[in-house]
Amino acid sequence: MSLEIIDVIISGLITGSVYALMAMGLTLIYGVTKAFNFAYGSFYTMGGYIAWLLLVPIAIAGGYFSVFLLAVPLLFGIGYLLEKFLVAPLRKYDDWEVKVMMVTLGLSLFLDNGYMAVFGGRMKSLPTFVSGQIEIGGAVIMTQDLVIFILAVGGMLCFRWILRNTRTGLAVEAVAQNPAGAQIVGIRKEVIFASTFAISTIMVGLGGILLSQKYFVAPVGGGDIMIKSWVVTAFGGMGSVQGSLYAAFILGMLEAMVGWIFGMDYVMISIFVVLLTTLAVRPKGLMGRG
Amino acid sequence: MLNVADLDAYYGEAQVLKKVSITVEEGQVAVMLGPNGHGKSTLLKSICGLVKKVQGQIEYKGQSIKGLGSDKLVNMGVIYIAENRELFPNMTVLDNLKLGAYSKNARPFERDNMARVFELFPRLKDRRKQMACTMSGGEAKMLAIARGLMSNADFLCIDEPSLGLQPSLRFEVFSTIKEINKQGKTVLLVEQNIPQITELADKLYIMEEGRITFTGNKDEAVCNDHLKEIFLGL
Repeated sequence: MSLEIIDVIISGLITGSVYALMAMGLTLIYGVTKAFNFAYGSFYTMGGYIAWLLLVPIAIAGGYFSVFLLAVPLLFGIGYLLEKFLVAPLRKYDDWEVKVMMVTLGLSLFLDNGYMAVFGGRMKSLPTFVSGQIEIGGAVIMTQDLVIFILAVGGMLCFRWILRNTRTGLAVEAVAQNPAGAQIVGIRKEVIFASTFAISTIMVGLGGILLSQKYFVAPVGGGDIMIKSWVVTAFGGMGSVQGSLYAAFILGMLEAMVGWIFGMDYVMISIFVVLLTTLAVRPKGLMGRG
Repeated sequence: MLNVADLDAYYGEAQVLKKVSITVEEGQVAVMLGPNGHGKSTLLKSICGLVKKVQGQIEYKGQSIKGLGSDKLVNMGVIYIAENRELFPNMTVLDNLKLGAYSKNARPFERDNMARVFELFPRLKDRRKQMACTMSGGEAKMLAIARGLMSNADFLCIDEPSLGLQPSLRFEVFSTIKEINKQGKTVLLVEQNIPQITELADKLYIMEEGRITFTGNKDEAVCNDHLKEIFLGL
């Protein structure tokens, strides 16, 4: 019993860390472009399929190392081009937010059905990073889980460092805080919008690679992720990176605990109960700045 | 240095500027006065590439700059300093200044310009770690001007620097602009009806309903009865 709860906590931390990475991407894109990206979950699936393609049919040398090496620029390129040719042309309309929602919703349907057509409806499973387990004081941790946690947290810290310390990162923050001011100092908003979209695509795609080997890759698997990322974002506070970090870990833990005590059927319900209660008390989420 | 001829500008369907022509020589302070909402800010924004629909000519250093985006113009040394400041509220003073030096042209001079700006505005140096949103109106104004200077621009378009400031602070801002001009920057400045500003002007323009209704120097302006009454309050 006492050991079982440690397993549950560990499971919560791992899921939480990947949710945090993915929610950070969604928060970033919402904070900067002020538009909802409904295709976000489909990029999670895309990450999974990229990994599967490279590892199983192609059997690439270097395994997961090569997967990450190739997936990051690939996801960046896909995200950048999609923003530039699909989303950016909509900005000239007054009601572009709604149009962006519609177009990204369409994109997600297109992608999900595209995966179905190309890869078939059967789930694909990915090989694990590493096998084996580590025992710490009687608690057993899968080495794979530990690697997922380290990569997710490492990825987050890496993105956070880029956003805080590079000129481009500062420019992204500038556009988020004041687009007019950013234009005045000579920042090209279009480039920042496209880059932000691309970076968020990397974040969720990496999340897909990390979690898919724990679970599986399926054409419609992104829907759940989309909803959970949104819940984390809304729960943590729109546009607050820090808030979404707390929210992701709280939600990951909640999921593990509820799943353990009441069964997996109650996970989604409990997530929404917590979200609605939070929003009823704090309409802007945990740390929303409005 | 700057030559604007027959400039029309539009916001959507509405025409804001009508055949505006002005010339600013290098090293000058040109001041444009006029009532609120008559197109002064639009003129500055048109020059700085912040208005989409413009017709006519805008030349800077003998080169047509009409239709160029603000990123290109900042790189060429033309910067807009907004009346409502347009700072980055949840960033430190230091990050705001760093972003002022975002353009390629400004990057190599970031360190030098930072030192110069801190010399000009010692208060910003004391508050460099403070968030921009916690600053008073006067300090924020100074930060906006300082951020503009960080771009290493030669040509500053300053939009109503005195807006919302008490008289003593206005005086401080004006004397700073004078100092900046002495250091070699050319200034095109827009104000409402502030008599003090005429002291600063090498050249005066009046804009009413999107047209230039007066062009001349300070002495000519003082001799003009219409101006005296309406704009200079003499």
